[in-house]
Amino acid sequence: MSALPILQLKAVGKSYGATRVLKGIDLDVMRGEIVTLIGPSGSGKTTALRCMNFLEAYDEGEVWIKGQLLGYRLNGRAERIRDSDESIAEVRRPVAMVFQQFNLWPHMTVLANVAAPLVLSKKIGKGEARRKALAALQRVGLEHKADAYPARLSGGQQQRVGIARALAIEPEVMLLDEPTSALDPELVEEVLSVIRSLAQDGMTMVMVTHEMSFAAKISDKVVFMEAGKIVEAGPPAQLFGNTRTPRLQQFLKPWFDRSLSPTPTSTPNADNAATTGLNPPEAALIVTVTGRGA
Amino acid sequence: MNAFLSMVPRFADAMLVTLEVSLLAAFLGMIGGFALNALRMRFSKALAIPYRTYVWLVRGMPYLSQLVIVYFGLPVLGLTMTAAQATIVSLSIYAAAYFAEIFRAGWASIPHGQIEAARAFGIGRRAAFRAIELPQALAFAVPLLANQVILVIKESAVASIITVPELTMTASDIVASTYTYIGPYAMLIVCYWLLTQAVALIAARASALIPFLQKTS
Repeated sequence: MSALPILQLKAVGKSYGATRVLKGIDLDVMRGEIVTLIGPSGSGKTTALRCMNFLEAYDEGEVWIKGQLLGYRLNGRAERIRDSDESIAEVRRPVAMVFQQFNLWPHMTVLANVAAPLVLSKKIGKGEARRKALAALQRVGLEHKADAYPARLSGGQQQRVGIARALAIEPEVMLLDEPTSALDPELVEEVLSVIRSLAQDGMTMVMVTHEMSFAAKISDKVVFMEAGKIVEAGPPAQLFGNTRTPRLQQFLKPWFDRSLSPTPTSTPNADNAATTGLNPPEAALIVTVTGRGA
Repeated sequence: MNAFLSMVPRFADAMLVTLEVSLLAAFLGMIGGFALNALRMRFSKALAIPYRTYVWLVRGMPYLSQLVIVYFGLPVLGLTMTAAQATIVSLSIYAAAYFAEIFRAGWASIPHGQIEAARAFGIGRRAAFRAIELPQALAFAVPLLANQVILVIKESAVASIITVPELTMTASDIVASTYTYIGPYAMLIVCYWLLTQAVALIAARASALIPFLQKTS
């Protein structure tokens, strides 16, 4: 077992003109780990995720994928220069991405969407690509939609195709950018259950999400960001159950309130709260914060 | 009635001239416009201003003035052309600006997320252009291209001024020699209408053949 992170961010910063949207992000993602990024809109969590595969060119710090620097190389005088597109593609090869808006290619059938990255970038044969694409579609339960065009699918199905497309390249890390934010509430669960099953298979994932309960259940590590910085990072029990960060308490409050209001009888009794030293809402939530796949 | 029928062979010949001149110009203009837009995208820094200038000049000037420059201006520089050649050259240059803008719109219609997805999945620039951008941009462009081809066909009427024996000149000739207006101009309208409807019909058929544009599967 190597203890090297599969994905590592060291003091990563990013500015748009004079606005510094990421202010030194440090993050280690170990193989098999599930990391969720949470935080208010504009906190930089999506930008941080996009820096992890250089869709966003970070301009401070370093991103390492399996021990290789992403996006830049050093010249003889230890100055940083932008890598070629080909080298960047080579370093990010183990990383797949699932997008908030799915970003399927509408002129291709579902099968062609999933096979396209294999055919167009990996230079493998059409038959082999087709076989792998079908297997990936099977994995998300959509092999019967292989010949349909994306526009004929529901949002949840489109996102599952997006996940199949990511799976087909046999990634070692999956980046998921708010994978359920564009979906109707009743379609969210079908996507979450696919992600949950990937987690059970040990897929390494970094996910930006607003699904707090899901993040609490599935994550090994939760990262709370605010104003371009990591405010608190740790196991979900710590962030969702026991945080001492006022800003995080404030951020989570609406979710606590929503989680508790429909079932007021489930509020833990005073004894329970007294023994754990938590406020009642937090004590209630810590019950739901269990291991992966719960 | 006899007089009317006697015009048919002349109009048939003229229609072939209009068809030849305008379709050749539309074809060359389309290729030129596609190339202009592709170069603009590939070398966006260097070519942004030359591209805008070209479009600005060509769209800002009446086609007649461009035809005059090519037919009467270029011989001064030692480049002499027949009237039909001058029409094809100037009409191609004129149409290329419009076609380039149509292709630009075609590419602008593709959501950026799709290009990002291609990049995130390691699909190179060329492969993305060919397999992801091109089919969608062309599908988007089909009705606009047809529209522009129709405009080129009708704009070719200006060539009558430099005596290209196309439809409009033929109609004018018949009017001048017979002093009848209604017959020749009615014939003229019918001829242009046939040509433009043929283009519209072909474009509609082409759109119907693009599977991902269909509303029902």
